[in-house]
Amino acid sequence: MAVSSLNSTHEAVHARYQEVDSLYRETRDIRLLGFVLFLVSDVVLFSMFIFAYLYLRNSVPNWPPINKDGVQLPRFDLAFACINSCVLFGSGATMHFAMESWKHLKKADFNLWMIATIVLGVMFLGGQAYEYNHVPLTWAGSTMGGSFFTLTGMHGFHVFIGVIYLITLFIQANRGVYTGSKYFGLTAGTLYWHFVDVIWVALFYLFYLL
Amino acid sequence: MAAATFEKGIAFVLAIIVGGTTSFQLYKDWASTGLDNQVTKLLLGLMAFGCILVLLACFGILGAG
Amino acid sequence: MAIAVPHPPGGHIDTHSDHIHPAPRTFIGKYIFSLDAKVIGVQYMIAGLLFFCISGLLAEVVRIQLMRPEGGFVSNDTYNGVYTLHASGMIWMTIIPLVTGGFGNYVMPLMIGARDVAFPWLNLVSFWIFPPAGLMLFGSFLIGAPDAGWTEYPPVSVQGPPGTSLWCAAIFLIGISSTMTGLNFMVTIMKMRAPGMTFTRMPLFVWAQLATALLNMVATVALSAALAALFMERQFGVPFYDPGRGGSPILWQHMFWFYSHPAVYIMILPAFGFISEILPTFARKPIFGYKMIAFSSIAIALLGFTVWAHHMFTSGMAPWMQLPFMILTMIIAVPTGLKVFGWTATLWGGKIEYHPAMLFALGFIVVFTLGGVTGIFLSSVPVDLHWHGTYAVVAHIHYVLFGGSIFGVFAAVYYWWPKITGRMMSNKLGVLHFWLTFVSFNATFLPMHWLGLMGMPRRVAQYSDTTPLLINQFTIVNQFISISSFVLAASTLVLLYNMAHSLIAGKKAPPNPWNARTLEWQISSPPPYYNFKKIPAVLKNPYEFGEPLPYLGLDPSDKDDHHPSPTDHPTPAHA
Repeated sequence: MAVSSLNSTHEAVHARYQEVDSLYRETRDIRLLGFVLFLVSDVVLFSMFIFAYLYLRNSVPNWPPINKDGVQLPRFDLAFACINSCVLFGSGATMHFAMESWKHLKKADFNLWMIATIVLGVMFLGGQAYEYNHVPLTWAGSTMGGSFFTLTGMHGFHVFIGVIYLITLFIQANRGVYTGSKYFGLTAGTLYWHFVDVIWVALFYLFYLL
Repeated sequence: MAAATFEKGIAFVLAIIVGGTTSFQLYKDWASTGLDNQVTKLLLGLMAFGCILVLLACFGILGAG
Repeated sequence: MAIAVPHPPGGHIDTHSDHIHPAPRTFIGKYIFSLDAKVIGVQYMIAGLLFFCISGLLAEVVRIQLMRPEGGFVSNDTYNGVYTLHASGMIWMTIIPLVTGGFGNYVMPLMIGARDVAFPWLNLVSFWIFPPAGLMLFGSFLIGAPDAGWTEYPPVSVQGPPGTSLWCAAIFLIGISSTMTGLNFMVTIMKMRAPGMTFTRMPLFVWAQLATALLNMVATVALSAALAALFMERQFGVPFYDPGRGGSPILWQHMFWFYSHPAVYIMILPAFGFISEILPTFARKPIFGYKMIAFSSIAIALLGFTVWAHHMFTSGMAPWMQLPFMILTMIIAVPTGLKVFGWTATLWGGKIEYHPAMLFALGFIVVFTLGGVTGIFLSSVPVDLHWHGTYAVVAHIHYVLFGGSIFGVFAAVYYWWPKITGRMMSNKLGVLHFWLTFVSFNATFLPMHWLGLMGMPRRVAQYSDTTPLLINQFTIVNQFISISSFVLAASTLVLLYNMAHSLIAGKKAPPNPWNARTLEWQISSPPPYYNFKKIPAVLKNPYEFGEPLPYLGLDPSDKDDHHPSPTDHPTPAHA
């Protein structure tokens, strides 16, 4: 029995998902598992570099260490990173709202929340650029700089790709590629964006708080 | 020094807002099923945890400056 | 504009598994950039065979050099590059692609009753990364080959010739290919099994591929991280491994071995899968201990992540850390041993047919067990302290990798050749190939145990003979080994000739020449591009010889050689 396209309650969201043709459902299940496993492998990548950072940190008596020019390096500036972190976490929340809006068939709300997410993501990247400029480290000057720029650089690259992905999803959604019951691209984008967010939780803790 | 306190103040407010929102969404969606919802719940929870870390940092409990 | 909610169309719909895509029509679409896992599998096999020959020739350079204590065949720098690329080529460009991308792509979807893997485009990209990566790897000879062994420990690797950076890039690329293949296979096996095929009704080859896919997907990324760090240190001076600037060479060893130990399980688990399929078929008996063998594959995969530091016992690591790694390494022998017991019990009381595939499977059990036993020796820290870096380790490696993985690959070639090519190979040549290989293999690698125990180190371009018993004893043994290795290399020619002759003039293969019971033998040789006209339902595991086949709904025309095009008669989605 078809569900009316005007119904946007929680039950209707669930019913719309259950009702899609089994071909789509199988395809979606396969793609979802593939995407989640991809995120798992990405976690392993970050974990290896985090291990390297912790190992290097542990193998010297003092941290921050002394760089190759003999200068004692200072700790990171915590306050700015706190704001930037909230910007990124906020973009995660707005992405969640965008997804909810879509599921409840509220296109205008979806557009607003997506734009908010993209803007916050770009703001985060801008904040990182500011941080890179102001931090007294170089990539090759010390293990602190090496691990910091490598890890946050990898993360920033993931955020950058994520922003491109979100812009693409925004355009595609507005071109009618996704419907009220078939929107796997949006699901994947949301998961990716949350993943990028959570990696930042780890990096924020490891570099600024530890 | 004042700049750092000001920034921490902003971060504090933002963390409350974002952390509260994330936790509330997590609470609302707690009963959902399916792989994508489970992963989303996990990640939302970790994001809320991140906001808690920011709060602790603002008060100086974590981090040395 | 509201968000549209389409209604499902009336009538029946293809499910993902029933749907047959239209056939590719251009030459390029059929053979070069094919999305069909079978074609991609064959492509992997051809490229893997090519890199096997190249890496094997490099090994022969090593053996020629070692025929004389003073060497002299090639310069020392060249020699270092030769053994580095021999191992790198064998591990990353031969064994792993062959057992995962080659046989995994071809056989696994057929065995689970699927039409293809979960992500065919990803599969295509995975393959096409592989030959360029291989060319990059061997091309490093042109700019100064990497010279620190396939393990490329810093600081030597950081200071090494330019080829080391190219090595990093090549292995990074093949690592991406492997990771994507692992992900693809995991999703395929988890989501695309035929109706009724529960996990405990899967063939053991599929269990092996599942465990391998898990390792491939998770561990290879660790290698990418290590390589990226080495590359960054070499090219941009980022301090990871340089102790002078706060780095640590031990960090490389941890990162590298965290991948490279699971890598050896990536190389051997599919071979275990081959053996588990071949033995019941040629013993006409159910496999003994199906669940034991199936779950032991997963156990080996999981345990394999916990033992990496047994490669680092001599690195100066803290003694308290050596103990748990030693114990875990010994524990990993248990699931492996369970498999060997299961295989042996499968043979007991069976009606054995000594077909070349079976001969190589039997040879595998003998030789791999020997290699496994030397592994137990090496797992013990006090023994490893003496064996590490000697030819005893080289012996162990080759017993498990050649005697294990390559013998497994040979067995798989003989077993699945008719299915893949639609032709039969010559049994006589196969038997000749086996005996030549088996005897010359043992003649080559068995004496290496003795060499290592008497103190000959590995990776040396020259050696000196100080044994007091006989003059030039090392020399005589090395010469014996080298001559045996020439015979071993020549024996591969028998296989190549057999393959070529079969393709040109071999007898046509029936759908099921071995009367085997897994799904790939229930369709024609070679199968149609869509594998099964109708996806069958599976009622039991495929090892109950003597019982009727446990499949429902196979279209009998799947066994015909001449297949009607599925676009002529669109497949009805319901029976």
